[in-house]
Amino acid sequence: MAALNLNTVRATIEGRLATELANTPAIPVVFHNMPYEPTPNSSWVQCQTTFGASEYLTHGDTTDSRNRLFGLLTINIFSAPGVGPGANYVIGDRIRDLYNRVTVSGVFFDAPTGPEVLVSPSPEGYFQTQVRVTFESIEEL
Amino acid sequence: MATIRGESGAVQFDAAGSTNATIVGTRSWSLTVTKETLDTSVHGDTFRQFVGSMVSGSGTVELVYDPDATGQAGFLEDVVTTGDPADATFELFTTGTTSGTDSVSFAGIITDMEISSTVGELVVVSCSFITSGTITSNLE
Repeated sequence: MAALNLNTVRATIEGRLATELANTPAIPVVFHNMPYEPTPNSSWVQCQTTFGASEYLTHGDTTDSRNRLFGLLTINIFSAPGVGPGANYVIGDRIRDLYNRVTVSGVFFDAPTGPEVLVSPSPEGYFQTQVRVTFESIEEL
Repeated sequence: MATIRGESGAVQFDAAGSTNATIVGTRSWSLTVTKETLDTSVHGDTFRQFVGSMVSGSGTVELVYDPDATGQAGFLEDVVTTGDPADATFELFTTGTTSGTDSVSFAGIITDMEISSTVGELVVVSCSFITSGTITSNLE
């Protein structure tokens, strides 16, 4: 066994989203530390994967042992302002269905929160909602 | 002085009592060793007197369930051994896995196995055991 490869976990999470949002109707998606200039009045998605606390799961020091790593997936959904939330929630549904209680490649996703409306969109000029999904992955040493 | 953290522990087991092997996925163990006492007070004594008698032990091992983890299945399923001759051997380590070091070893019987599955939590298994015969302590 080996220590958890964080980029493998990240790729599992982000790849799933990128594949789904490439389907029709395709929605642009941008990830952490990537430049993006959104088109005004368009829909687009920002995905931020963050790793958080770990905990001991089993005995064993650095061999035959397991840890549990927790993380948070924050997905911001932007859509055109002044036309209601419908189009935004359609995207939100697609994203919820993508992670809702799913286990894929050793990553366990919990039930999603949202899409919650953010009263102060960032960047401004969009209607913004946010879907948050906590996840965990087991590290086998 | 050297304090030891719980995650350094380990449990080794062999159902047939030949070669102990580490059970992967244990997360806790406990052992209680009890010595019975015999009352040797006689007429005329004003204070009760005792001598130590039979020593026995019992405890638990808790695991994070993984059907593919080395050693788990053999450990859990030992509870359904009928006519158990108490030939299974245990070694409980406070740290490391060097036999005879920082450990307690004994033969015993798994007397209870409980597996639980709860929404939002890991599936865990708890097994209880009693010792049979000599308890060898290497906790020095």
